[in-house]
Amino acid sequence: MQNELLTIQHLTTSFKIEDHYYAAVDEVSLSVKPNEVVAIVGESGSGKSALAFSIMGLHARAKSEGSIAFEGYNLNSLGPNELNKLRGKHIGMIFQDPLSALNPLMTVGDQIQEALILHQPNMSKKERKRKVIELLNSVGILQPDVIASSYPHELSGGMRQRIVISIAIANEPKLLIADEPTTALDATIQLQILDLIRKLKDDIGAGIILITHDIGVVAEMADRVAVMYGGQIVEIADIHTLLSDPRHPYTRSLLRSIPSADTPKTKLYSIQGVVPSLKHLPRQGCRFRFRIPWIGESSHEENPQMHELSPGHFVRCTCYQNFWFPGEEDIQNGAS
Amino acid sequence: MIHPPPNDIPLLQNEAFAARSPSSLTILWREIVRDKIALVSLVFIVIVTAFVYITSLVLDQEQIVRVDLFALNKAPSAEHWLGTDYGGRDIFGQLIIGTRNSLTIAFLVTMLTGIIGISIGVISGYFGGMIDNFFMRVVDFFLILPFLMIVIAFIAVVPKYSIYSFTLIMTAFLWMGIARLIRSKALQERELDYIKASRTVGTSHAGIIFKHVLPNLSSIIIVSMTLNLAANIGLESGLSFLGFGFPEDTPSLGTLVSYARNAQTLESRPWIWLPASSLILVLMLSINNVGQALKRAADARQRRG
Repeated sequence: MQNELLTIQHLTTSFKIEDHYYAAVDEVSLSVKPNEVVAIVGESGSGKSALAFSIMGLHARAKSEGSIAFEGYNLNSLGPNELNKLRGKHIGMIFQDPLSALNPLMTVGDQIQEALILHQPNMSKKERKRKVIELLNSVGILQPDVIASSYPHELSGGMRQRIVISIAIANEPKLLIADEPTTALDATIQLQILDLIRKLKDDIGAGIILITHDIGVVAEMADRVAVMYGGQIVEIADIHTLLSDPRHPYTRSLLRSIPSADTPKTKLYSIQGVVPSLKHLPRQGCRFRFRIPWIGESSHEENPQMHELSPGHFVRCTCYQNFWFPGEEDIQNGAS
Repeated sequence: MIHPPPNDIPLLQNEAFAARSPSSLTILWREIVRDKIALVSLVFIVIVTAFVYITSLVLDQEQIVRVDLFALNKAPSAEHWLGTDYGGRDIFGQLIIGTRNSLTIAFLVTMLTGIIGISIGVISGYFGGMIDNFFMRVVDFFLILPFLMIVIAFIAVVPKYSIYSFTLIMTAFLWMGIARLIRSKALQERELDYIKASRTVGTSHAGIIFKHVLPNLSSIIIVSMTLNLAANIGLESGLSFLGFGFPEDTPSLGTLVSYARNAQTLESRPWIWLPASSLILVLMLSINNVGQALKRAADARQRRG
C-alpha cells in the first residue's frame, strides 16, 4: 500500500446565503496517492469545483470543516501565510478557462516567473528566464522565447492552456488539481492537453485530481473515479469497475447520457430535472431521489451511508439495489 | 509582372513576428493624435503649464500683490500688459501666479484624493465583506457632510490660510467618488480567474493587488483622475469666487474672477476678470477633451485610432 499524498476526511464547506450556511461540499472523504489520477465527475453544481477550491483554500467567506491532510499539514487549519508557501510549490492548479486564468496585462513569461519568484527566491534572473523557456518547452510550445514575451490574447486557446499548465507545474508540485482543464478547448486540442498532463504526471510523479463532467476524459485519464452529486460522493471506484459495473443510479444515468457513435440518432437519455440549487438541496435522505421519482421511497435509506461492494468500490444509499430505468419496466417485472 | 525575389519572404515573416501588440501608452498616444481637438488641447495645457511655472519663478509675488495707489484700475498698457485692479496690482502677474496656484491646488488635490480613494477603493473592493462594509459606511458618512458649509467654517477658524491647508480640506471631502469607482471595479476584478490562479501560485494579497488588480484598473484610474483634475480647477475657482478662497495676497484664478462681483468692474473693466475667466474655461475644456480621448483609449469599442 502506497502512502497517501492527500487524505481528505469529512470535508464540509458551507456558504452563507441569507444568514444560513449551506454545505456545497458535504462530508467528503477522498484520498490521492502519488502518481495517481483521481477523477471527480458530476453535473454542473454538484460541488466538484467547490471541492477543488476548498483543497486550495480559495474560498473567501466560507466555513470549512473536516481535515485535508497533505504532507503532514492540515490544509484546512493553516493560516494564509503557510498556505501561500504550499500553494504553487507543492500544489498546482489548472483552471477551466485559460483566457480568464491569465492576467491580460502581463506577458506569459512574467506570469510563469511569478510562481518561480515566490517559491525559489534565490534563483537568479538568468536562471529564471532559462527555467521559463524550459517549462514552455516541456508543455510543447514551439519558439518558447517568442511566446514568453507575448500577451495572453495573442495566443490560441490550446497554447493558453499550455501556459496555464506550465505555471501550475513550475515548481514541480506533488499534487495537481485540474479543474475541467479541457472544457474550453476543441476535441483535437483536448487530446493533446490530456496527453500532456499524463506525460507531466509521469515526469514529476504528481498525484492529480481531475475534475470534469466529460466521461470520455475520465476513461482516458483516471485511475479512480469519484462521482459527486449534491455535494456528496455517491460512488467511488477504480475506473474499470466504475465503467463496467456502475451501481449508483446517478452514475448509471450519467453513463447512459453519453452519446455513442455506435447507435446514432437514437434519443439520448437525460436525467429528469436539474441539480437543485444549494439552498433547495434536500438534506435529508437520498439526495438523488427526486430525480428518479419512479423509484419507491422505500428503496432509499433514511440516512444514506457508503456501502462497500468490493474492495475500494463504495456506493451511497441502498437505492442502487432496486434501480431501473424507465422503459425497462418489462425486464423488471419479468424478473420479479 | 516581375515577382519579388523569394529571399524577401523570410523578411516578411520576421516583420510579422516583430509586430507586437501596441502597449497601452502607444494606444493612448494614438488616440490623442487621431483626435485633433484633444491633441490641440494637450499642447495648450502643456504650454500654459510650462509657461506659468517657469515665469512664476522669475516673478516676484510680493511686488505683484503690493498696492500701488498711483495705478488704480489702469487699462492695459505697455507697463501693465493686462492693466491693473482696484489696488493697482498688475493683472498679468496675478494671472500667472494665480494660474500656477490654481493648477498646483488642482493637481495636489487630484493626486491626494487619488491616493486615498484608490487605496480605500481597492482594499474594500478586493477584500469585500466586513472591510468593504466598514469603508463604504465611512464613505457614506463623508458624502452626507455639507461640504461647502464645512469649508466656509474652516476658513473662518484657520488663521493662516494657505494653499496647503486649502488642499487638505478639499481632499478630505473629495476622495469618496474615486473610492467608490475603484471599489466597484475591484469587486468585478477579484472574481476573475486569474486572481484565483495567482492565489493558487501562492501570491499574497498585497502582491495580487499591486501586480494584478491595480494594473488592470490603470486605464480607469488615469481617466477618472484626468477628469477630476478639470473638476478641481473649477471647484477652487468657484470657492474663491464666492469669497471662500484665498486672501488677496495669494492670487488665484478664482480671486481674479471674483473681482467681477463689483458691478463697475464687470461693466467697464473687463481686463480684470476676462483673461482669468477665459483661461479657466479653456483649461477645463482642454483637460476634459484630453480626458475624453483617454476614456476612449481605455475602451476598445470606442477607439478611433
